[in-house]
Amino acid sequence: MSVRSADALGGKAAIAGIGATDFSKDSGRSELKLAVEAVRAALADAGLSPADVDGMVTFTMDTSPEITVAQAAGIGELSFFSRVHYGGGAACATVQQAALAVASGVAEVVVCYRAFNERSGRRFGSGVQHREPSAEGAALGWNLPFGLLTPASWVAMAAQRYLHTYDLAPDVFGHVAVTARRHAARNPAAYFHERPVTLADHAASRWIVEPLRLLDCCQETDGGQAIVVTSRERARDLPHPPAVIVAAAQGAGRGQEQMTSFYRDGLTGLPEMNVVARQLWRTSGLRPDDIDVGILYDHFTPFVLMQLEEFGFCGPGEGAGFVAGDAMPLNTHGGQLGEAYLHGMNGIAEGVRQLRGTSVNQIPGAATSLVTAGTGVPTSGLILGADG
Amino acid sequence: MSADVSTDASTDASVRLYGRLKAFEGRAAVVAGAGKDPVNEPMIRHWCEAMADTAPAYSGPGAIAPPTMLQAWTMGGLSRHTGRSAAYDELLALLDGAGYTSVVATDCEQEYVRDLRPGDRITFDALIESVSERKTTKLGTGHFVTTRMDVRADGEPAGTHRFRILKYAPAGRGREGEREGERQGRKGGSERPRPVVNRDNAGFWDGVAQHRLLIQRCEGCGALRFPWLPGCGACGSPEWETVEASGAGTVFSYVVMHHPAFPAFDPPYAVGLIELAEGVRMVSNVVGVPYDKVRIGMPVQVEFLRVDEELELPVFRPAEGSGGGGGGGRGGGGGAAKRAGAHGLHATDAHRAADDSAARREGGGEGGARMRVGHELSALEIPVTRTLIVAGAVASRDYQDVHHDAEAARVKGSPDIFMNILTTNGLVGRYITDHFGPGARLRAVKIRLGAPNYPGDTMVLTGTVTALDADGTAEVRVVGANGLGHHVTGKVTITVAEQDS
Repeated sequence: MSVRSADALGGKAAIAGIGATDFSKDSGRSELKLAVEAVRAALADAGLSPADVDGMVTFTMDTSPEITVAQAAGIGELSFFSRVHYGGGAACATVQQAALAVASGVAEVVVCYRAFNERSGRRFGSGVQHREPSAEGAALGWNLPFGLLTPASWVAMAAQRYLHTYDLAPDVFGHVAVTARRHAARNPAAYFHERPVTLADHAASRWIVEPLRLLDCCQETDGGQAIVVTSRERARDLPHPPAVIVAAAQGAGRGQEQMTSFYRDGLTGLPEMNVVARQLWRTSGLRPDDIDVGILYDHFTPFVLMQLEEFGFCGPGEGAGFVAGDAMPLNTHGGQLGEAYLHGMNGIAEGVRQLRGTSVNQIPGAATSLVTAGTGVPTSGLILGADG
Repeated sequence: MSADVSTDASTDASVRLYGRLKAFEGRAAVVAGAGKDPVNEPMIRHWCEAMADTAPAYSGPGAIAPPTMLQAWTMGGLSRHTGRSAAYDELLALLDGAGYTSVVATDCEQEYVRDLRPGDRITFDALIESVSERKTTKLGTGHFVTTRMDVRADGEPAGTHRFRILKYAPAGRGREGEREGERQGRKGGSERPRPVVNRDNAGFWDGVAQHRLLIQRCEGCGALRFPWLPGCGACGSPEWETVEASGAGTVFSYVVMHHPAFPAFDPPYAVGLIELAEGVRMVSNVVGVPYDKVRIGMPVQVEFLRVDEELELPVFRPAEGSGGGGGGGRGGGGGAAKRAGAHGLHATDAHRAADDSAARREGGGEGGARMRVGHELSALEIPVTRTLIVAGAVASRDYQDVHHDAEAARVKGSPDIFMNILTTNGLVGRYITDHFGPGARLRAVKIRLGAPNYPGDTMVLTGTVTALDADGTAEVRVVGANGLGHHVTGKVTITVAEQDS
């Protein structure tokens, strides 16, 4: 893998358009309708028409097939369609798939999308009580009879070990929540617009699964987000300045499981994100100091701290202090804790806005953003850069 | 089960039935009942033996009966009740006829106004206080019936006894109960989620059935592995054999589940990640210790918990002498419920106990140091043996077959026999009087049952002083947790007369 040498994908493709529906708790429309709205919004943002699209990528978890979204969005023939597995871990990988297709000439304009009614429809937080006897089902099956049934509980198992190892209290996770909500408070698109929280609010919020409190958990959202990827050259002719895909990577660790990687190493980090980080640094030639803004996947606060440590922004166990010190602008849209839970896709859009200079919490002169996808699962990441 | 009750959607039939049931409210349940025996020393002694209650007040000259025996003196025993009203029999027959043939006691609220002493003649009357709408619980669907009994001793008021039972159709059985929603809800509803068994991991579950904890060992490189997979993650070899784990391990991490609630579990409850002595890890439950006392590094030992007719699970109990409160009781003799000695307490509890005795030495008096709002009582661990269940049932003159006959219990939808409410009541009383000493008098014990106490489990009683009056009357909130969740929650009122003892 390109952990040992820079890959040939870096810099070939760019994000030319971003588009989303409203983020709500009850969309009142189908997931397909949300997907179509987001795709059309992203194409409009890119200054392209549905007829320009020849590739589509989404998550295996998405309920709206590429062909159906294409039909309903006025998109014609497709020469490339692909789906990425592992829940929110797919987010940045959809863009990587698109970039691979564009860079190799398999497709010219690829739309990545994710849409769901995760609040009014199937709520992931309501947990799992049954799985079919497939390999995937069996892996999760070890947890079910003992009542370890929810995403929060799977994250909490690692979070507890993290706190124990570094002799920390659950309150340290509050810094991530406070930062996200501070940014969301200034974001009109955020559910928690104008509703910041304090560390005291975090510490007073109820337990969901100890050591995680309510404010350690992201929200649940109905909505859709789409991203348009094309070649760097073509993007230069479109309305917005290109957000160049400087580096894109997927990562799975040794002994990897989906949310339940309990059986390997010290349970204090995210080895799969380390695989992503090593590739992104290698291909981009950048270092942590070069990142202007970090959009780190935040379904649960502890894994934000571990990501910072895996990327080398700070040392093991130092993530909370790093966030508390505001050492790097983090999740400036409000994150999934504050803006919306769109399986990481809304974070990619924020990474793009920062490079365009259009974020509600704009970092002056931001030229490089790091975006990550779902944690605790096989995952992915992007480094996006301003053109030139 | 009572923590998890829902009211069903009504049907015409259920509305009609409920109307008929409501008509019984206010009618007599027992008229001029008389205890079959006067209060007597042998029954007191049998009770105290079953409960392992050694309080001095219950033996020797001037002995009184344990107040929690109040109901036992009114029990009909094998020769059935006398004095039960026709109305009560009709009510039960009506419920039986509607398919609600099983019965389980859910609540017992007793207030004690007079000591009972050998020779006292017991008489009592009881009223049908209320009949609930149809409710669906973990056990099944049915109606709660609440009665209130006034007990007299030699004609003087001795106490009141409010008792709630659930008359129910075991899941998926009764006529009324066989409704679409319930049939769907039952499988995978209130029962524990099933393990996911396939060709790659069936060997593990075969091992569990034989009470063996099997892990895989690669025949290529010798690496041990868990979870079960058809090849080695270290060397790729497809050849493997099984090794039986010693069952010893430590808690590597754990969580406490609060939200959301699932039908099969009673939050909060702890789930542990256990690192076996052999080096592999597995997710399991830590039993025999309250959810908030599980700690990383706690040594544990495997045991096998029968969850229901189809499912047995490997679970882990704090190892003996580990500080986990494991104190040796499993399968221990004779139904004796054993108080965790200092060696068997958590470090924190041991410290607390030491603090208490220090305070007493400083002249705080028996009631002093312990009578403080917020004071937490040391935990009492009670191994739930088959012997304890049967001895408690017999000592309380309760011959319901579900408390002594496993086969009959299974027919009624229970995986095994389970502890009766009178025994739980007695154990709660003992827990309080053990803690507060001979000066303490029980004034009221009000308990509600949740997850049943099945043989092989352990109940850990914990208590917190929640209120304290100037006259030395205190309220203690008590929780008894077992491997399935909360077996009992309740409130005990006591007075401590300092000049006593």
